Amino acid sequence: MTGDPRHASERARPLILGTDVAAVRALAGALDGRLEWVPAAEGDAALETWRRRCASAAPCAQIVVALWSEIPPRGDTPLTDMDADMWETRAEAPLIAWSVALAAAASRCADGGAVVGVIEAPAALDAAGFAPEVGLAVAVRALARSLAASEGARGVRVNTVTTQARLGVEPLAPAPPLASFPGRVEREVAGAVRLLLSPDAAGITGGTLAADSGRAW
Amino acid sequence: MVSGSGKVVLVTGASGGVGRGIALACAEAGWTVWVAARRAREGSEVAENVDAVGGRGRYVACDVRDATSVASAVQAVTLRDGRLDGVVHNATSELSPRPVRLVEVPLADLREHAAVSVRGTWLLARSAFPHLRAARGSLLLLTSEAGFEGKARLAPYAAVKAMQRGLARALAREWGPHGVRVNGLAPLASSPAMERAFAEDAAMRARVLGRNPLGRLGDPVREIGAAARFLLSDDAAYVTGHTLMVDGGSCPVT
Repeated sequence: MTGDPRHASERARPLILGTDVAAVRALAGALDGRLEWVPAAEGDAALETWRRRCASAAPCAQIVVALWSEIPPRGDTPLTDMDADMWETRAEAPLIAWSVALAAAASRCADGGAVVGVIEAPAALDAAGFAPEVGLAVAVRALARSLAASEGARGVRVNTVTTQARLGVEPLAPAPPLASFPGRVEREVAGAVRLLLSPDAAGITGGTLAADSGRAW
Repeated sequence: MVSGSGKVVLVTGASGGVGRGIALACAEAGWTVWVAARRAREGSEVAENVDAVGGRGRYVACDVRDATSVASAVQAVTLRDGRLDGVVHNATSELSPRPVRLVEVPLADLREHAAVSVRGTWLLARSAFPHLRAARGSLLLLTSEAGFEGKARLAPYAAVKAMQRGLARALAREWGPHGVRVNGLAPLASSPAMERAFAEDAAMRARVLGRNPLGRLGDPVREIGAAARFLLSDDAAYVTGHTLMVDGGSCPVT
């Protein structure tokens, strides 16, 4: 099986561990990646089952994790107005899912390979109403740094890309430097991911690229 | 002399360690300090310590994972003292110092980390906001250098501490127009939690102190508590959305 060139060529494509959402499919398409769904919103039992299955799957040299919700979060609910369901959906459940998926990705990554987590979050200036997303993005960056430290001995790199492409943020002044804000998944986001997966990023791990037309720095 | 005498503050996880240090530092300014904790005996002892150093100490039972418990604790403060100027969320999961491989962590443990640190932040923010707005007060979240740089063997802890940094930043934006400040504090302190971490990982003490320019851990009262008191005080009236590192210069990430 492993000697079959068709399988070798399939394994050479990036593996996208993502949610079944149009924007994730678009990202996978732009990267010529193969998709595997992560049951990020189906509860902890489903996530545990997926984690066990992932642990016995074939390794891959390039893995992208993108756990995006079907409907992008809106910034119209202050943190203090959120009810328990909204808090769970936007904060705790995604934190658990990202912890599981990013760790599974790093573990499954072949020696010398690369993992990139792509997380949606507005820049600090525009953070009002997006507290769970801003918090989650900082948490995912810390997870990536933790995994970069633990997997570095195998030559595995772990980085993150942040994007606001779907968030509908109205930026406060000053305007983002590039008119392309908020950017497109297929172009700006995929480009940043491609760079971090590539050998050109061989010396980059534990880092974050903001693919946001210069909004956050 | 600390600017803003007569403040009323609530400190979670204040029955020991860094939380106790913050409670005592605030007490030295003459503030009323509510020691919010699950452990009644230890919490009451700290409340007595608060009285002994010049403050007014009160114990209130509080499990930060539970909405009703948090709401009751905040209500107890405002019923008795009529105001709430500051909330310090210091409590952290007892799992925090336990070394783990992230890929093997039981989901229940991840849930526990999240419940104490990040749900606790949300519940405290939700219950305290009307009172903090009335007092033009502030919320202070205790985070960690782990929340900046990540930790190979403490990844769940690093993640929730990082998430608190992000929540502080976003809440500062949301609450600024109401005159309420939100900050973070990332200490490296001598505490029972740190001693437990050292006990779990024999090489950790040398590793932690070896990279620390000052070569020692911070004192929970004189150094960590004083920094927290500053951020809660009127001296920090123009400081919000910031995480202050009080770690002897040891964190390599800014």
